[in-house]
Amino acid sequence: MTAPMGDPAATVVDPAEAWAGEQEPARKPEEPSLSAGEWLSKNLFSSAVNSVLTVVFTLLVLLAVRGLLNFTFSEERTWRAVKTNMRFLFTHAYPQEQYIRIWVCVGAIAVMSGLSVGLLARTGAGISLKKLSMNLMGTGGVIGLGILLREPSAMVDDEGMALHGDPAAAVGDSFVGWLDANALAVLGVLVLANVALAAWFHLQGTYLRDGPEPRVAHGVLMLASVGVLIVQQYATGEIVRESFADAMADRAWWWLGAVVLAGSGAALWFGLGDARRRNTFVPAIHVFFAGAGIMVLSAWLYPWGHYAFLEGEFISEPGSTVAMTTKLPWTVMWALLVGTFLLGRALSTAGAVSRLRVPLNLLWVMTPFVLYWAVLRDPDLDWDHVLSTDIPMAVFFAVFGGLVVWYLTHPRIGEAGRIMAVVLVGVAVLNWVAAYFGWYPMLQKARISFLLLAVVALLAHNFAGDRTQRLRLVAAWVAIMAVFHWLVTLVNSPSTVETPTDALIGGFGITLIVAVFTLLAAFPLGVLLALARTSKLPIFRVLSTAYIEVFRGVPLITILFFFTLIFNLFLPDNMSLTDIAGATIGFALFSAAYLAENVRGGLQAVRQGQYEASDAVGLTTVQRTLFIVLPQSLRVSIPPLVGQVIATFKETSLLAVVGIFDFLRIADKVISAQSEFLGVKREGLLFASFIYWIFAYNMSKHSQRLEKRLGVGER
Amino acid sequence: MSNTDQTTLAATQSGRPPFYRDATVVKWLAQVFTLLLVVFALFFLTTQALENLNRQGIEIKYDFLGIGLGSDLREGIDTDPDTAGRALWAGAVNTIRIAVGGIIAATILGVLVGVGRLSSNWIVNRICSIFIETARNIPLLVQIIFIWALVATLPNVELDQGPINGVLHLSNKGVSVPRLHIDDGFYQWLIFIAAGVLVGWWVKRRQDRRHDATGQETYPVASFVGVLALFGAVGWVAHPIFGWVGAIFDFIGDGFSSLTPVIVQVVLSLAALAAAAWWIRRFLARRRTPAGLMKLTDDDKFRIIFAGVGALAVIAFVLVGWPGLSSWIINSGTDLLEVIANKFGDGRTGRPMDIKAPDVEQIGNFPNPGPAGLNLTQGGTAVFFGVVLYTASFIAEIVRGGILAVPKGQTEAALAVGLRRVTMLRRVILPQAFRVILPPLGNQYLNLTKNTSLAIAVGYSDFVQVGQIVYNQTGKTLEVISLWMLFYLACSLTISVIVNFFNIRMKIVER
Amino acid sequence: MSVSDATTALTEELAARDDMIVCEGVNKWFGDFQALDGITAVIKEREVVVVLGPSGSGKSTWIRCINRLEAHQEGRIVIDGVELTNDLRNIERIRSEVGMVFQQFNLFPHLTVLDNITLAPIWVRKKPKAEAEDLARSLLERVGIPEQAEKYPGQLSGGQQQRVAIARALAMEPRIMLFDEPTSALDPEMIKEVLDVMKELALSGMTMMVVTHEMGFAREVADRVIFMEDGQIVETGTPEHFFTSPQEERTKLFLSQIL
Repeated sequence: MTAPMGDPAATVVDPAEAWAGEQEPARKPEEPSLSAGEWLSKNLFSSAVNSVLTVVFTLLVLLAVRGLLNFTFSEERTWRAVKTNMRFLFTHAYPQEQYIRIWVCVGAIAVMSGLSVGLLARTGAGISLKKLSMNLMGTGGVIGLGILLREPSAMVDDEGMALHGDPAAAVGDSFVGWLDANALAVLGVLVLANVALAAWFHLQGTYLRDGPEPRVAHGVLMLASVGVLIVQQYATGEIVRESFADAMADRAWWWLGAVVLAGSGAALWFGLGDARRRNTFVPAIHVFFAGAGIMVLSAWLYPWGHYAFLEGEFISEPGSTVAMTTKLPWTVMWALLVGTFLLGRALSTAGAVSRLRVPLNLLWVMTPFVLYWAVLRDPDLDWDHVLSTDIPMAVFFAVFGGLVVWYLTHPRIGEAGRIMAVVLVGVAVLNWVAAYFGWYPMLQKARISFLLLAVVALLAHNFAGDRTQRLRLVAAWVAIMAVFHWLVTLVNSPSTVETPTDALIGGFGITLIVAVFTLLAAFPLGVLLALARTSKLPIFRVLSTAYIEVFRGVPLITILFFFTLIFNLFLPDNMSLTDIAGATIGFALFSAAYLAENVRGGLQAVRQGQYEASDAVGLTTVQRTLFIVLPQSLRVSIPPLVGQVIATFKETSLLAVVGIFDFLRIADKVISAQSEFLGVKREGLLFASFIYWIFAYNMSKHSQRLEKRLGVGER
Repeated sequence: MSNTDQTTLAATQSGRPPFYRDATVVKWLAQVFTLLLVVFALFFLTTQALENLNRQGIEIKYDFLGIGLGSDLREGIDTDPDTAGRALWAGAVNTIRIAVGGIIAATILGVLVGVGRLSSNWIVNRICSIFIETARNIPLLVQIIFIWALVATLPNVELDQGPINGVLHLSNKGVSVPRLHIDDGFYQWLIFIAAGVLVGWWVKRRQDRRHDATGQETYPVASFVGVLALFGAVGWVAHPIFGWVGAIFDFIGDGFSSLTPVIVQVVLSLAALAAAAWWIRRFLARRRTPAGLMKLTDDDKFRIIFAGVGALAVIAFVLVGWPGLSSWIINSGTDLLEVIANKFGDGRTGRPMDIKAPDVEQIGNFPNPGPAGLNLTQGGTAVFFGVVLYTASFIAEIVRGGILAVPKGQTEAALAVGLRRVTMLRRVILPQAFRVILPPLGNQYLNLTKNTSLAIAVGYSDFVQVGQIVYNQTGKTLEVISLWMLFYLACSLTISVIVNFFNIRMKIVER
Repeated sequence: MSVSDATTALTEELAARDDMIVCEGVNKWFGDFQALDGITAVIKEREVVVVLGPSGSGKSTWIRCINRLEAHQEGRIVIDGVELTNDLRNIERIRSEVGMVFQQFNLFPHLTVLDNITLAPIWVRKKPKAEAEDLARSLLERVGIPEQAEKYPGQLSGGQQQRVAIARALAMEPRIMLFDEPTSALDPEMIKEVLDVMKELALSGMTMMVVTHEMGFAREVADRVIFMEDGQIVETGTPEHFFTSPQEERTKLFLSQIL
């Protein structure tokens, strides 16, 4: 197969250094503050080449921004299509009367997030007030510029068609018309003037003297260019457009927003006075809560409009406020998030962090399963079957397995334990062989339970210990069995939620669900593959390498087609997979190969001495791997792992190609097929891009922060 | 002292421990057990699939490749293919076209953006970073579909098409640019080029040596280019003299087709045995010490046994598992040689290549294929620009990381010994940056090639999309998916071989 | 009492004790290179043996073979009556009976000092956590850094790290301690604090095998000095005997170079 091309370890630091780095985070010395003029000279107009680059690229950017604004806010855009289909985009055809379940899920995640952040997040880092105020002022400024750059609205006649003027007359008549006709030439002349100016300053040595002349002269010419870009659009060309004053009046709300943002930023800046106070940090989470709070509040106050498909009926009320069914739940969600955050804070000061960390993480792992199968599906349990079969079986495995665990974790168990473990493995394997030849019937979950027990029995001697330790392990086993059998019962019960497709939920919901289950399945598999690939045992290594290289060598889409189109052929008669399950398996197998390569990088960063020291104190291979090797290597490979999480999230958009109604498919195909919005595609796609971008961008920023904190990539 | 030795040693038993406590045996038992598990799982799945197919009366056969295909392709070397096999071939060429073009364009754009990201100019720096953050945080599929929807807003095809008529056409049907057209004598001309490379290489080495010996500037690279250009120019007119080369391939092809399957089976079996024997010999050689062959551990014995078992498994596969393999090798080898032979001939006297400019013949119609330039349909444009922008954003980050990875001391040291800036970049900074950049860059090329398969979402006739047409018409899903996987594995392998070649060269440069 | 008398007396006294480490004809190759060439030696209970030799002479390889960090290829190694073979039970038994201290400390950087020490007692010796922690604290007391228990290895100096490493090895209550150049990676001012701990350990009656370049330590503490070169044991003797009247030419050459 393909040979490994990169040495992932090359990008990874030694774990020992990572830890040393984390203990005492090095604060970068604060850069000396420059005045605005100095900043311009240093960063934009430091030399002739630099000045020309600044001019050319500013023009290009303004052109691009103008194009994007005019595209986005053009009268031709039907943004109603997106607003009306919001529910569709996020949950597809999940029945309206059961919608409370969705809110329960969102609420559960809000509670968990609030608690986790409140309990575990560090409070030290955050946003400096200086940066906050600069961001506010910058955002305000950019919005202001955008308002100016955006073209004026076209004048329409009674039927809503744009009024057309006479271009020839306009050119002759007014300066604006002439500017519009010759805009390219004028901009070209302005750029050439800048180049000539730069050459002149260069020959005079003005750049070397660091004087204010270059930035003033270039600045004036650039402002002129911006003026051309704005004014040009008010020409009455083919289409008659409103006047400048009318356009600005139309955009009064936007102006208000820009002024409020920039004003609050400026107030913060000047209110704080000296540099020391500007450098105080506010926790980023507070800023986030405040921002979310303002958004929720605006749903009550600002007339965003009310758009919906209610029972197939198309509603479009532009002037009204948001419907109660939207603003109330979001307000509750916000309150839950902030409330549980404060609760978590209060608890964390009580010193319960170390005790709560493990249960909280376990809850996080459980959450997707519970929310998907118990809440969203609302399973219709067959109580006779539950009482007669499911519960007795769960009790049997809990008790029998508990006894086995208790026995096998005895410190002096010795050889008897090994023999017993091997016997259990034999029984577990035999169950599957029997299934193949049809020797004796057995429920699938019993087979899996036996297999789990066999694995536990094989590993048990590594965790032997005193009474408390053994009791804890037995309790863990009983808990695993309870949860496992409960989940299997749920999964096997029919759903009471009626949806048109085999997918329970569609849109962004299915995107997130597939991504989460993919990662939950891919992560353990990836770690195992990485361990096998770095193993000294040749067969493990060959098998793992073959797997990784095959899955990395073929496109994801072919794997998805395999699992959605024909994988059922490979299964026995009584088994079949839905498209969603098949696609999730495909995603998981694919991601596992990539995750394995990331983890391998971390494993290679663990020093040989760590293995030797673990061997010397007598740890077994399993103990060495779990207690020494994996904690160190996983920590080092966190940044690439987050990268893989982002990649998986983005890859879920391929669900659209295999015919599942995910976010992208609804934005691309479903909305444009509705009779109200026939052929309206670009709006939905732009919105989808934006949502994907928000998620992916924030995750990657977070990973970069982590990378810095761990000291990865710094020399 | 020696007597205590004896007593202690006598007191401890030395024989083998029971097998379940023997480290080596346990290790290998676990491995063999896992291997059996994997083999059993695969066996179970395959037999199940065969059984299911049998029940439906379907056989796994690849004869559908020779059956006619009822529909046209949107673009490619053959838009109206006779057979499904020919259609897949056209799709494969489309995939390779867009992958190669995409790799070149993404590299150029990525390097520019990556260097711009390091610029001291604030605005250039910002723009590059905004580009990177936008392009890599939006799923590629969304980008491709969005570009597709944008192309639809471009103007209709007119006879006098803009923006630059005859050079660059943008329309709602796609993009047209001029292209090189491979003509009659191209492959004969290639022989000249190959000879030119050889001779040029020899000249370059000579010039290099002279430079090393005398220290004077000898322009080795320029000489290489000059020699190559000379050969190319001579070949441009003289290429028909190589018309006879086809006969050689004909001769080899005849020899190949007269082979019998048994011979091929024997050759393959012997090759497997030879490989195993070679591996075992090398293995034993490494365990030979000046004092003679050292005692083999159990672990060593297991390894040797496994090499032998592996060779036997290959032989069993060739002889029993798939007896048709050898006749397939003979047939396709003969066909391949015939195709090559036909590229040469006395009749091929035309120019090796021409330039074809885009030309619209009919309003609203996008000419494809034909005498006109290089036409990318709406789907092709979307896939091309999608993968280029997306991959460029990753390449930019790699380039930036690579340049930052060269320690500052290197620049200072190079300047301190008096190197000029250009020499410093060429001899000190770039070789070191390349070493860091190349492996992840190779991965990006691989990703780009695989990502072209998203063409299926916008109807560009690449290998996957044509495959979908084929299985929709023939019902041969399993077979088509197997072809997909083989094709992309071959592409991945090719790319990683190329990248590894440069990788190894870089490492030698480093030493 | 003459030197030879002292040697005889010591030999007799040692003969009465149990054998802790017995090596017989141990050979090991790395490819073509023979790292150990017919090593035959016996180390008695409560004996402190210092192994000297130029770098590349096989000292470290030998000591690493004794707790199976490297597998010897020929010959026999018997530790406290248990032979080192492929037998998993024997390897387990020997590793929990032989403590080792490395040149590079090899502490676990993601665990606190306390967790570093208690890890093996809890998971290998199956001790209750509280008991293991009590033991760890008393060991930290013994090596002189009781106040560092909650810190991470990265926050300690080299000398402190090495003392933690010794405490970690002692926590398994080993009968034999192996030291592989324990002071070579340390700054000069930290060497003494580690050697002091080792001396205290030697006086308490621990069987010790030490690879080191610290001649002072060898002279003062060692019961016996073994000189190795090219994978062979060249000379064995008491420190006085070894440093004052070496028999072999190669030993003389080595001593003349380092002293």
